[in-house]
Amino acid sequence: MPVITRRGLLQASGLIVPSLAAPAYAQGAPPSKPDRIVVNASGGAMANFLRRAYFADFEREHGIRVIDTSPVDFGKLRAMVNSGNPEWTVTEIGGQDADRAREMNLVEPIDTSIVDLSKYPAIGRQSHIFVGSAYSTVLGFRSDVFKDGSHPKGWAEFWDVARFPGARSLRNHPVDNLEFALLADGVPMDKLYPLDMDRAFRKLDQIRPHIAVWWSTGAQPAQMLVDKEVVLATGWNGRFFELAKKNAPVGSEFRGGSLKSSAWGIPRGTRHAYWGQKFLQTMTNPKLQAIYATELSYAGLHPDTVNYVAEELRPLLPTAPANLAQQFWLDVAWWTENGARAQERWNRWMLQRG
Amino acid sequence: MSSPRAETPGANRRLMARRREAGLLLLGLPALLLLALVFAWPVLRLLSLSVEGGTLAHFEKAALDGLYVTVLLDSLRIAALVTAICLALAYPVAFWLSRAGRLGLALGMFALLLPFWTSVLVRTYAWMVLLGRNGIVNRMLRDAGWIEAPLPLLHNTTGVLIGMVHVLLPYMVLPIYAALLRVDPDLSRAAEGLGAPAWRSFLRVTFPLSLPGVSAGCALVFVLSLGFFITPALLGGGHVIMISMLIEQQVREFLEWPFAAALSTVLLLATLAIYALIGRLTRGARLATP
Repeated sequence: MPVITRRGLLQASGLIVPSLAAPAYAQGAPPSKPDRIVVNASGGAMANFLRRAYFADFEREHGIRVIDTSPVDFGKLRAMVNSGNPEWTVTEIGGQDADRAREMNLVEPIDTSIVDLSKYPAIGRQSHIFVGSAYSTVLGFRSDVFKDGSHPKGWAEFWDVARFPGARSLRNHPVDNLEFALLADGVPMDKLYPLDMDRAFRKLDQIRPHIAVWWSTGAQPAQMLVDKEVVLATGWNGRFFELAKKNAPVGSEFRGGSLKSSAWGIPRGTRHAYWGQKFLQTMTNPKLQAIYATELSYAGLHPDTVNYVAEELRPLLPTAPANLAQQFWLDVAWWTENGARAQERWNRWMLQRG
Repeated sequence: MSSPRAETPGANRRLMARRREAGLLLLGLPALLLLALVFAWPVLRLLSLSVEGGTLAHFEKAALDGLYVTVLLDSLRIAALVTAICLALAYPVAFWLSRAGRLGLALGMFALLLPFWTSVLVRTYAWMVLLGRNGIVNRMLRDAGWIEAPLPLLHNTTGVLIGMVHVLLPYMVLPIYAALLRVDPDLSRAAEGLGAPAWRSFLRVTFPLSLPGVSAGCALVFVLSLGFFITPALLGGGHVIMISMLIEQQVREFLEWPFAAALSTVLLLATLAIYALIGRLTRGARLATP
């Protein structure tokens, strides 16, 4: 017959303590199901495709409704977490803010016992951020103005207004533009960082008179190309992909494109964090990622995803091997550190009329 | 105003008036409390955020850095332009509405308020379709043979002014309309009876009496203009920068809330100063007219 000693009791309770400290769901049985979770993302057409690819599958599997909200807003995320009761169960986070979200302790760690990242490439295996997909800022052009592949290939040619005349549009933001300016100035792709801001702005001075519009929302460049307000524009590849699928005379060039990953996180302190992790697990499914990529071209990082996408669409994916090789990954760390300084300089530069 | 009635002693009357005033104040109390709670308190919090850590460094940056001063002055200029254009367009409309028959009033109000039911973003995109280089306006002018090259209506200050005036026009029309309704038509009839031509009776009687509405409309439009950022960002094509865009940038992108608070405080003070100025100008104008 076992003798109950004080030490034995202490040991037994010592075993219990760590599991009390761990989140409730680590104790075995999953926590009770809420009737809904809230997933915050970029909205627009994207919301429909997220629903078709991931929300529908999650709802079917778990019987929990997914409510979607938008837009992605880092300030709001911070305010929510500080308030102690975040409304969002899962939120997309603007690419540049992903590091900050972790540093400022705004997101829960990714629980890899639920979210299986074992097949993911290194860039997709982060402690607090789930990489939902990759997208790229690329060069869009009117394919009726620049026929049969005669469009500018890369940024040096985008800058060449003599050979490629016409109004252009760039984003009203230093991100990407500083990189593009440096690439146009002959800096090799793997030597971009740390960015030489003086050199970049000097190069931007040259193109400024030819920029009819500095765009501020993702819909603008696509719309302006369709309206022929401009003939060349930078834009997010998904917007141009959408036009290509509608047979609009707009093409996109991946050379020199700026790759970014869309980041997702679970706001710290949100009530249904466990189901947030489950939702992210749904998002790792390559077949669902392929549905999403087929609609929007923003392919998830699961290596099998490309295989589930129709062959004719693969060249339009930023993650297609041939395209990957021609683009660079935006250095989020550099921008986190220097973003404010670059933005202030950008504002100042924009104010110089001329 | 009726003259004091002989049978009511003055003291009694004053007491009753005071009681009525207290009763009215009570009626307004819930709204005042709500405003204090959801408006005054957050504004105070914002102001205190701007001097976080007991330093005025943020104000120093806002005041000494040419960038923010230039943008603030630019925003004030745009807001003033929008207000002036709105006033010029709104007064005749308000005047017509105040004299219109029932059908005219219904139609006019419908046309005026219709844009209110559409989101600002949608309206802004609609202007982009209308005003672009190959937009409807330019195409019509070109087809009519009036212009050769498209007019630059979009992605500049012109585009911003058109878009903002469109959004803000009702805020100018409605107060002026309300003020004009309160003007006793007998007064202008009396003026005309005394031999004043219609334009003179308007200038000396109707217009001065409508000034409270003009002042309210100007203040509303001016203050709302200063807060705009979606419309100028889209229609200005990046060439027009408003202070609200810089504040939004600081809040959303850089999480520099203390500096954003300092910029907001400067904007708030500038707004209050101009608000006071408008009030004083219109009061002065009213006093100057006999």
